[in-house]
Amino acid sequence: MSATTVTAALRRSQLYRRHIDLGGHFEQVAESTLVSHYRSIEEERAQVKTLALVDLSALPRIGFKGLGAPDWAAAQGMTLPAQPNRATLQDDGTLIARLSQTELLIASNLSGASTHSAVAVSAVADTTLAERVYSLPRADSHSWLVLCGDLAAETLAKVCGVDLRPHKFANGEVAQTSIAKINGVLIRNDYGDTLAYSIFSDSSSVEFLWDSLLDAMAEFNGAPVGVQALRDC
Amino acid sequence: MSNDVRLPAPFGSLIDRDKTISFRFENKTYQGFAGDNIASALAANNQWLLSRSFKYHRPRGALTMAGQDANTMIQLPSDPNALADRVAISDGLEVMGQNYSGSLNRDSGALLGLVAKFLPVGFYYKAFFKPRGMWERWAPLIRKKAGLGVIDQQFQPEYFDKQYQFYDVAVIGAGPAGLTAALAAAKAGAEVLLVDENPSLGGSLNYSRLDAEGEKARQLRQRLVAEVLASDNITAMTNATCNGWFADNWLPIIRGKRLYKVRAKQTILCVGALEQQAVFHNNDLPGVIMSSAAQRLMHLYGVRPGKTAVIVTGNNDGYAAALDLLDAGVEVKAIVDLREQPEYDAVAKKAASKGLTIKTGHAVFAAHKDRSGLHLGSVEVRKIIRQGVCGDQSETILCDTLCMAVGYTPTYQLVCQGGGQLSYNDNTSMFTLTNCPQNCQIAGSVNSHWLIDDVIADAQRAAIIASNALGLSNETPDQQLDISLQHSPNFSWPIFAHPKGKEFVDFDEDLQIADIINATRDGYEHIQLVKRYSTCGMGPSQGRHSALATARLVAAATNRTVAQTGVTTARPPFSAEHLAHSAGRSFYPARRSSMHYRHLEAGAQMLQAGAWYRPAYYGSAECREACINSEVNNVRTNVGLVDVSTLGGLEVRGPDAAEFLNRFYTFGFLKQPVGRARYALLTNEAGVVIDDGVACRFGEQHYYVTATTGGVDRVYQNMLKWNAQWRLDVDIANVTSAYCGVNIAGPKARDVLRKVCSDIDLSSEAFPYMGVRQGTVAGIAARVIRVGFVGELGYEVHVPQHCGEALWDALIEAGAEQGIKPFGIEAQRVLRLEKGHIIIGQDTDAMSTPAEVQMSWAIARQKPFFVGSRSIQELDKLPAKRSLVGFVVDNLSAPIPLESHLVLNGDRMTGRVTSCHFSPTLNKPVGLAYVEPDKAEVGSRFTIKSSGGVMVDALVVELPFYDPETQRQEL
Repeated sequence: MSATTVTAALRRSQLYRRHIDLGGHFEQVAESTLVSHYRSIEEERAQVKTLALVDLSALPRIGFKGLGAPDWAAAQGMTLPAQPNRATLQDDGTLIARLSQTELLIASNLSGASTHSAVAVSAVADTTLAERVYSLPRADSHSWLVLCGDLAAETLAKVCGVDLRPHKFANGEVAQTSIAKINGVLIRNDYGDTLAYSIFSDSSSVEFLWDSLLDAMAEFNGAPVGVQALRDC
Repeated sequence: MSNDVRLPAPFGSLIDRDKTISFRFENKTYQGFAGDNIASALAANNQWLLSRSFKYHRPRGALTMAGQDANTMIQLPSDPNALADRVAISDGLEVMGQNYSGSLNRDSGALLGLVAKFLPVGFYYKAFFKPRGMWERWAPLIRKKAGLGVIDQQFQPEYFDKQYQFYDVAVIGAGPAGLTAALAAAKAGAEVLLVDENPSLGGSLNYSRLDAEGEKARQLRQRLVAEVLASDNITAMTNATCNGWFADNWLPIIRGKRLYKVRAKQTILCVGALEQQAVFHNNDLPGVIMSSAAQRLMHLYGVRPGKTAVIVTGNNDGYAAALDLLDAGVEVKAIVDLREQPEYDAVAKKAASKGLTIKTGHAVFAAHKDRSGLHLGSVEVRKIIRQGVCGDQSETILCDTLCMAVGYTPTYQLVCQGGGQLSYNDNTSMFTLTNCPQNCQIAGSVNSHWLIDDVIADAQRAAIIASNALGLSNETPDQQLDISLQHSPNFSWPIFAHPKGKEFVDFDEDLQIADIINATRDGYEHIQLVKRYSTCGMGPSQGRHSALATARLVAAATNRTVAQTGVTTARPPFSAEHLAHSAGRSFYPARRSSMHYRHLEAGAQMLQAGAWYRPAYYGSAECREACINSEVNNVRTNVGLVDVSTLGGLEVRGPDAAEFLNRFYTFGFLKQPVGRARYALLTNEAGVVIDDGVACRFGEQHYYVTATTGGVDRVYQNMLKWNAQWRLDVDIANVTSAYCGVNIAGPKARDVLRKVCSDIDLSSEAFPYMGVRQGTVAGIAARVIRVGFVGELGYEVHVPQHCGEALWDALIEAGAEQGIKPFGIEAQRVLRLEKGHIIIGQDTDAMSTPAEVQMSWAIARQKPFFVGSRSIQELDKLPAKRSLVGFVVDNLSAPIPLESHLVLNGDRMTGRVTSCHFSPTLNKPVGLAYVEPDKAEVGSRFTIKSSGGVMVDALVVELPFYDPETQRQEL
């Protein structure tokens, strides 16, 4: 898909110009476009194993909070983490993070079409949502970047004051913290056996965060990759 | 390099003799080996003179070879005051000496030494402040002489950064204690960081002699280092300096251009001890070095310190150095032992058995220059007849090297930064450390253990305590040895005054014995006062080699014990660090709206408002005013589009949403109909205006509230804070970044919007002023708000953030026929000013009340409560102090007043201008200003002190300036 198609979509990642400059190849996902790959798939598969940055901001995601939110989500068949600051992966690849007792972040799988996330996103338009369940427009308030590879934790140590080393920060753990001085939700959600951290942060700052992460990655020869390499993990 | 200076292996453990490196010092080319530092490489070339001293410009050379003294300060091209015994040589490196006039070898500044007696301690205070006013004359001269090194003003900033690290145990110092502690903690299961400022692990094991054969240190080092390197639990970091100790074991560790921010659960400080100099006449001559420095030169760099050496010692370490010197082929002329009856250990016995001249109960009374005047030529040895006093009989011994081994101080800085207590033990003549901070241990020689077996045992003890605290072990640590009963390497009084002085206590500041004593005689008896009066310990080496001698001298001069005298305080940093280590790679987040690049493409000049980038105006900077005026005119007569994405957005939802807003803002919201917006003014508990916005009611339980760009975070925090008290059934969410928005404004706004919005009836009847609707604009789900901030028919269209660019494109395309143009923040400011709308933060300050800014209409006084209501009630009872009024300047030739220009009443300042701009609509300057209440009446005149001090006459007028009937915005 050509770069011009990106601007045909109503929803555009704020990073799309950078993706075009990097030679990104795009694919249609949900209502937006996502970088499939920049370089050859083989190169990017190798890159993912060492250190890579992926922009998943085009993928669907939503948040819910309120006293009724956990019960409502459970009633939709979602399996929720038992305690705050934990995330679980649903059978369909949907990622659900519990940010507090009464707040959830629900993010799609890498196809952008996971059932649970679709249910959640469509529920926003449903005026019969249970009492005290309030939706949060996470798809727009927060960008979604994934930093992955063996050197991801060491890279994050340059921008984040939380001990994120794999043996200290288990898969599924959540840190609500500051990353390069930007508030964000950081979730370790490995793809296969590839260490990965999803970073959800203020969407208006995503270009700054993208540049800051690439800067931190430079000494380890990290590079951006498209979503396909992540799917192949 | 001089072949007769370099020693064969195994001397020179750090150098690679296969890699020759060329560098330049004082414009002359030298060769060294990879692994050499500047000082060692120069010493290998018989170049000992490195710098000139601060005050008397005395020649100075290496003293410690450990980067712990100021004698080795040299100038690198972009780095003044680098330490020659710390900086590795590299090909092409240009090095210069520092602090000289003329040349390093022939420094005319050294003439100051001849008038030293006229420059006593405290002479700054005595000489330059009397008579009154003299300081102003002296200051430029003194400042010209002050400081060391030259700043490269062409320097281009380099990349420095930071990294967080986390460990169970941080062990600082990788000598025998550090290696042992690290291994013990690691074996218990702890993740250990082992830090050392030197290039190789091992600390003193790299150069000291523990046994007569000279094998034990090497073997012990090999074993411990091999175990450390083989341990998966230990991260060893060399060439890394722990530059401070902060609460909860926060350790800033500097290596290269990176600052590691280390957080350790437990810290074990194994930072060793610093060898001290003997104090005697000319003890600063190049060639007079610490015994450990001589051993470092030989063992680490393969450099023979000289050809003929004398050793002055007060312990057995001097004998170990003598054996090393003999091994290196140095002729040891004599061992001058300060002790009358030394107790030899095995090493000293071996040295004594070598047939060396040993003069016990003697001191080096003076050192003398060689023929060059730049190096040691001989020493004068005398019998000690009582503490600090020598007999008259002298023996002169020719030598080019004098090694001093008279004692140590613990490297106390990090411990003291953590609150540790440094005390003097009069029995052992040593400083000792107690009261370590919580979760911090000390071990080894810093803990006053000197025998290697004691050092190892002490390190294991500390590691057990740390491991127990981590829950990794449950051993009972050995009892700490009573350090007051320990063997001490410190000679009690290695200080010998000379009739001609120049017995340096502090090399950094050229302070002599008499300076310290005279400070006490001037009445400065407390050690802290002595420090500040004399500047002793305030130089680059921060008292590392002067604190001990100073404490002893002050004690003697004031008839107290050293223990009673006390010591000065140690503060971070431990050693000099580049400002770039603190400043480097800081993060300054930038926020951009999703329409950001459309603004750039349209030629916008961007400005930063907080972290946000916003378009100021569109066009070149040269025609700024014309661009702004054009944008204003286009909105007034046609249609314009402005990006309002940076406005704060807050969702307030739930059964108590209306009640919450009713308490939070000044207006009434309980009866606000769904589909309507209402102005929302926010005051704090003091009744001061702190923010404003519009509360849009989209449902019975759903408000969408806007807030100012800079204020939304505070508003959100305040909402959460207040509801934590009120416990209303409401949910509050900051959705600022979730929505972006535009304001399409102007008489043709409806015509344009209609083209891309078919599911909302935009007619004035169906969608009146201050109405709110939800629908789609250009196919994008949108919240549409009819507002009139700029005083024209206008719609704010808020859409999901990622759709902002598509919305912008659609509106620009739809408005092409009507001549739509973007307008920036500057035009918006002018437009709102013409309409008389205030901007919170610009037209208000930390004292502005609603009444002062003519906002009493926005207060629902019949409400039982809102935040600030009580204060406003009380303030209303008081006479007004000032009033924000609208004014015009009729004299078009007068300079237009600017924000913050003063309002004057005679020569009294009575107010200030908050906003002012030339109004293209009214064709005259209009503005807002705080004035005295009696000047607030329409028709009053007041004076503004404008640019260049020009007094401008202003006339108070009714607000708004434009469209007082508000017909335009209600079209």
